[in-house]
Amino acid sequence: MTQTTSSTASPGVSEIDTSSRCALSFLIVASLLWLVTGGVLALLNLLQTHTPGFLADCFLFTHGRLDAMQETALVYGWAGNAGIAVALWLLSRLGGSALRGTNYLVVGALFWNIGVKLGVYGIAFGDMTSFSLMQMPDYVQPLMLVAYALMAAPGVLAWTGRRNDSTFATQWYAIAALFLFPWFFSAAQVMLHFVPVRGTLQSVVSTWYAQNVFSLWMAPLAIAALYYLVPKIRGKVMPNYDFAIYGFWSLIIFGTWTGGRHLIGGPVPAWIPSVALGAGVLVLFHHMIVYLNMSGIGGSGGVVMKLAKYGFYAYLLSGVIDALFSLRSFAVITQFTLFQEAQWQLALASFSLIMFGALYYLVPRISGAVWPSSGLVRGHYLASILGYAVLIISLGVAGWQQGTALNDASMSFEAIAAQYRPWLLVASAAQALLLVGNLALLVNFVRILFVRTSEATTSQFRQPTNLEASSS
Amino acid sequence: MSSQDSIDPRLEQAAATDDSIISAHEKASEGRPDVDGNYRLIPLVLLFVFSGFIFFGGTYLHRYTGYFSPEIFDERQHAGGAVTEAPQIDPVVLGKKQYNLACMTCHMPNGQGLPSVYPPLAESEWVTGSEERLIAILLHGLKGPITVKGNVYSVAAMPAFGQVDGGGYNWSDQKIAAVLTYIRQEWGNTAGAIETATVTAFRERGDRKEWTEAELLKLP
Amino acid sequence: MKNGPLFFLGLFFALALSWAGLALGTHAQLGDLQPHYDDIEGKAFPQRASGIASRGQLVYQDLGCASCHTQQVRRPSFGADEARGWGSRQSVTRDYVHQKRPLLGQSRLGPDLANFGIRAEAAGATKTDLLVDLYNGSHEMPAYRFLFEEREIVGQPSSNALQGVAAAGSELVPTERAETLAAYLLSLKQTYEYPEARPYAPDETQEGAH
Repeated sequence: MTQTTSSTASPGVSEIDTSSRCALSFLIVASLLWLVTGGVLALLNLLQTHTPGFLADCFLFTHGRLDAMQETALVYGWAGNAGIAVALWLLSRLGGSALRGTNYLVVGALFWNIGVKLGVYGIAFGDMTSFSLMQMPDYVQPLMLVAYALMAAPGVLAWTGRRNDSTFATQWYAIAALFLFPWFFSAAQVMLHFVPVRGTLQSVVSTWYAQNVFSLWMAPLAIAALYYLVPKIRGKVMPNYDFAIYGFWSLIIFGTWTGGRHLIGGPVPAWIPSVALGAGVLVLFHHMIVYLNMSGIGGSGGVVMKLAKYGFYAYLLSGVIDALFSLRSFAVITQFTLFQEAQWQLALASFSLIMFGALYYLVPRISGAVWPSSGLVRGHYLASILGYAVLIISLGVAGWQQGTALNDASMSFEAIAAQYRPWLLVASAAQALLLVGNLALLVNFVRILFVRTSEATTSQFRQPTNLEASSS
Repeated sequence: MSSQDSIDPRLEQAAATDDSIISAHEKASEGRPDVDGNYRLIPLVLLFVFSGFIFFGGTYLHRYTGYFSPEIFDERQHAGGAVTEAPQIDPVVLGKKQYNLACMTCHMPNGQGLPSVYPPLAESEWVTGSEERLIAILLHGLKGPITVKGNVYSVAAMPAFGQVDGGGYNWSDQKIAAVLTYIRQEWGNTAGAIETATVTAFRERGDRKEWTEAELLKLP
Repeated sequence: MKNGPLFFLGLFFALALSWAGLALGTHAQLGDLQPHYDDIEGKAFPQRASGIASRGQLVYQDLGCASCHTQQVRRPSFGADEARGWGSRQSVTRDYVHQKRPLLGQSRLGPDLANFGIRAEAAGATKTDLLVDLYNGSHEMPAYRFLFEEREIVGQPSSNALQGVAAAGSELVPTERAETLAAYLLSLKQTYEYPEARPYAPDETQEGAH
């Protein structure tokens, strides 16, 4: 993409952004393609839940494999690529210099996506591992680890080469996510595949890993984006920012212990789910502090702010619900039901909505042009909010009903299925709506790829002013 | 702060530069000096809330983890606390099974033994009599002649069935008690059952080599 | 922040703490858990599955059956697992000691299978009944037609062909994957009463004791 010389002189668009256009665009288009693919797979999976015979004759799409495929596509395809793109952009912006090592980034991204693709195919052809959020076959995992290291390299360089000695909350969260992922990914690989631990201890390691994927990777990336977008767009210093550091460390220290809540009543020593519950309550401290900092997120705003706001509320709700429903009196009903699926969708929604907001903010800046279609933007926004809300609520209600029915020994599985079927039909409609919205985003992004940066396109960017140091 | 009335969804404007965000928040994180003597309530609130969380977490962990025991799978269980008793195994059933496995070959299925070789168990005074003597025979074995129901049996020796040095069977005390209980109520015998604890108490007196009849008669 | 390296050290130790606590800690506690030798029965429990059943577990894993079925029984006072006949005691770690990769599952769209072998035995269901259910689909479970092969009868008909479906001159035969899967399912039992699995009866007086 050639740029006219005047674009670099435009005050609203900085060289830091436009120089990373190719690399980040590659990551973003990959993430959006995986978002749509994952969305299709997730829709098919949900359809199978209420219509078991759907695609049952095709061994590639048997329910178990489809479940694993959609999970892998959305977590490693969508969240992986989008998370890294946003993290690198944030780190380069706050580091004050252009992304270095973009060649490594592109090679890493290429192999990461090859790995995810191989992973999804591997699952379809029968090599799934059965570990939650780590379903891709074990032969793909080392490849993904190496590719990740290449992708994370520019982020590390942006941190170490930062112009300011002091760091901002966004940088802590983003670099923490980038730094921690390879450690817990490789630890899980070793303890589950290469030197497997015995019996049900694999479940302990597997739930530890799955929790870390959200608490130590997806959540910090989303919170990093929030910490940047809110003061950037609102133009105000965040209140109680001096406590942000405590919020950060409470997430890192306590968040990783909460995986054991899935193993309540299971064949593991009882202290594991109990510790997970204790940690789940302690991690709410992080949610409290982030809530105090994000007071500027409410109120009127554009699409970016609104997506960030709803994503943030979903994140808060997710933390509270995870802690509350780990209590045994609730877990006895919701364990093993669609309610857990609703909890996962809530977590994914919080991440995705915030990432959508971040993408809507950053893509014009790396492209030097505005989004081509405001209709597609609005359409995607409405579809996402409505889709996630309906999906989560319908799965939650269906799950609660299912749980109560499972605990009533007189109800047969046909009766239980008949009870949750209408809710699942609604959920499928919501999932389809999400897919349509995400398609709109993909189309819009592909269109912006073809826009040539010029004086006309960059003139719309206003130069921001300086933030006042003292908060009001 | 954006001054637009409706924000164009195709572009969100920035209201602050990156450098100023970093420096302003850096200043904010240093905290404000209490010039007026007014302190902020928030730090106290956060401290209380965090302490509350720690208190909840701590009490919950104290009660529901069984002190991190790997053998507690029910969180309500106290470490070292009582569990329900093991299901009782009928000693006669177990004893009969063990008898058929090991004793039958010599003492015969009908407890009659083999004349001049193996003593009978049916209506034998050794079986229906003293508990200690019977336990001794099974635990440590018997060597030398023994008079049963008026006949002398001196050809074969009775091996040691208990968990003793040199014993080849290593039967648990429960098994020994079961077999003895079985033979004491079979084939016309009507003596009482023998408890596992009695066997254990006897065995804990110490190992020894096989008993002779004279030594056995010294037992109460 | 100024202390860059300290920051990363802090991150690393936070992760290492949870890893050491959860992964290493449980490994230290239960990593060399042995089967329980029962003196009276003269056998060690759990008993190893047969080779065919172990291969069937791989089929169970690669079809993703764990996405709808669990293999962990909850204790009787925690849900209706016992009432539904899924097991009279809670599953414990020792039940899975011989399994290379226990497939505990996280979702109960279908019934729990930890004691499926015992239930099938009690109901008098044979391997053929199970294969027929797999072919037709039962209740909410879809039909797994791709685990079966319909082929022309060449020479003698196969001894394990399923009756009543194929047209004349053809036979419906379960594939090896179906056979091993059925053998695996019929081998699932968790009936032995381990000492640590005995139910806990809360004592009212003990609750306030400490």
